[in-house]
Amino acid sequence: MWFSKSFSTRLSLNVLLIVTIFFIVVLGIVAVSSHLLISEEATRSASNILKANILDIEKTLQTVESTVKDASWLAKENKDSEKYLYHITQRVVEENSNIIGSAIAFDSCYFDGRHFFSPYSYEDPETGELKSKELGSAENNYFTQEWYTVPKETGQPHWSEPYFDAGGGEQMMTTYSYPIKDSAGNVYAIITADISLDWLSKKIDQIHPYEHSFTTLISANGKYLSAGWQANLGSETAYTYAEKLDDPRVLEISKNMVAGDSGTMRYWVGSKLSFAVYGPLSNGWSMAINCEYGDVLERSSQMHMMMIIVGLVGLLIMFIMCYFKIRQLTQPLKDFSASALNIAKGDFNAKLPEVKSKDEILQLHDSLAYMQQSIVTYLEQIETATSAKKRMETQLYIGQKIQEGMLPKNFPNDSRCSLNAKVIPAKEVGGDLYDFTINDNRLYFSVGDVSGKGVPAAFVMAITRVMCHLFADLGLSVQEIATRINNSVAKNNDANMFVTLFMGCINLETKQLEYCNAGHNPIIVIPPDENPYYLKAIPNMAVGVWSGFEYKSENLDLRPGTKLLLYTDGVNEAEKADKEQFGEERLLQLVSKPEFRNLNSEDMVSAVLDAVKGFAGDNEQNDDITIFAITI
Amino acid sequence: MEVKIEKIEDKTMVVLNGRLDTTNADKFQQDIAPLMQGDTPNIEIDCTDMEYTSSQGLRLFLMLQKSVTARKGNLVMRNMKPNVKEVFDITGFSNIIRII
Repeated sequence: MWFSKSFSTRLSLNVLLIVTIFFIVVLGIVAVSSHLLISEEATRSASNILKANILDIEKTLQTVESTVKDASWLAKENKDSEKYLYHITQRVVEENSNIIGSAIAFDSCYFDGRHFFSPYSYEDPETGELKSKELGSAENNYFTQEWYTVPKETGQPHWSEPYFDAGGGEQMMTTYSYPIKDSAGNVYAIITADISLDWLSKKIDQIHPYEHSFTTLISANGKYLSAGWQANLGSETAYTYAEKLDDPRVLEISKNMVAGDSGTMRYWVGSKLSFAVYGPLSNGWSMAINCEYGDVLERSSQMHMMMIIVGLVGLLIMFIMCYFKIRQLTQPLKDFSASALNIAKGDFNAKLPEVKSKDEILQLHDSLAYMQQSIVTYLEQIETATSAKKRMETQLYIGQKIQEGMLPKNFPNDSRCSLNAKVIPAKEVGGDLYDFTINDNRLYFSVGDVSGKGVPAAFVMAITRVMCHLFADLGLSVQEIATRINNSVAKNNDANMFVTLFMGCINLETKQLEYCNAGHNPIIVIPPDENPYYLKAIPNMAVGVWSGFEYKSENLDLRPGTKLLLYTDGVNEAEKADKEQFGEERLLQLVSKPEFRNLNSEDMVSAVLDAVKGFAGDNEQNDDITIFAITI
Repeated sequence: MEVKIEKIEDKTMVVLNGRLDTTNADKFQQDIAPLMQGDTPNIEIDCTDMEYTSSQGLRLFLMLQKSVTARKGNLVMRNMKPNVKEVFDITGFSNIIRII
């Protein structure tokens, strides 16, 4: 799959991730700030619309007020003419299209002594025809109605609370009342103009800045004059409406409106956040425009959606471009990888990709080139060292063979004597030696151990062994042989090498043993029917230490069938892993066993060697081992 | 093999501790190198805690003795364990090196 988790994919994904996070953050900031800006703008705009409409309605109401005020002068002038008074009310309705009815209600018994006198003209709500009638009657006692009582008592003009005019216009209305006073300032009549709430509602419903927004108009006492829904006009108040909603801020808005304040406030209707801008009218009414934020932010939300889509497409394009660009840039890495693989496979001169750029890739190229060069150099060095080591090993092997060849192998095995010996060097070449020769009736034999191991010891071993043999062939006494070898080795012995040497000579006819122990381990004598024992000897100096030392020899008569066991300290000092040594005691116990005593020389050597190896186990042999058995 | 060398007035005290075998003979040779220098040395080696010596070890003691003799000095080894003393006896080294 080309879209594998390659370096370029991972790098592209990382870049994509960073850019995406950046994009989300920027989008978030833009969204929040644009929302804030738009909300603020919407509030300001709604506020302006509110102010404009308040001014508009105030203007309309002022025309009503001025019409009524003008008419009050006429009524004052013609307060005795019933006919003219009717005419005035007709003119008020006719003059101002917003006025649907007008009355001049006189105080009781003021006009012509009548209890009720109130000429009233109105537009018939069904036909639109202008009609006139006497308003007051026992059923319609206007002296108790608000539009009459308030201006009568205060002497001030008054806008009434909305009410249903049952005796007059037969519809929901609000009435502007203007008191007519005599020269003493007493109110004797009230002239009125009725405004249809239906008309007001229609006007206000046109104030509609957003799809779900609505405008409310309430009276000084909080009654709805107009609302954006079918409220029970005239009876429902802003308070009763506020109680229906959960958000206490709606009630606060209502209170502020009734108090005549202006302002802006947010509130929740269910899950929808809305805001209201409100402000008072000069006559004590208050108007509010309510808008939902959902409407306000709709366009900005659309814009954000657009930004997200464009951003996502952009990110996708960026990812693809990034991917291919990085793949192109990292192509040399793949080439280097292939080259490195070739190098690893052994082609140290594998061609490296050419690099033109002067960057990390070039550094990689140089490093790889350097590595190639170093590997070749090291390989050459290793080859040289290996061949040198091989040569040395070969020579050591040859040395080992020569050394092995030096030691006599054709062991005599006849009625007079049988011999056997083995040397196991700890290293390729060793410092242990044995020798034997039969000169006339005399069997010369020796075992020696050169201090140290390896090549230095091997040289001394070689000359010592040769001297032993030569001097024995000359028929010298063991004492004389030891003395001569000592003087020879001690001379020019700067390395302070020395040899512990046991030399013996058995007269095969008389079975007399003459021996000289030059610092060597005591040998074991195994008589045919007695217990084996270590042969005590005069302690002579090890060979090569002290030039001119006089060696002393001793004699021992042996019986036929006696066995001798000679060995070097590789036997008694063979160690287990815990440093316990094989020891002389264990060796003596081994050779004391009845089954051991019946073995021939060759089997004795093998038995001792097996015992030593079995004792040491896997522990490394750290000294040469020599075992030499003689049976006479 | 631990080697402690301490000079007290004109006497050099050497204390040996442990085994002297093939594996550490070279190290021992380096350790006692300072003893191979100086005029008329007076060296005393305490062998109380020396467990064992191989023939290579003996060679080094021999070298030391020869070096001391050449400089007209004096070398004494003391308190050897029996098994160590035996090696010195068998090889005849007790005839060359003064052991007390």
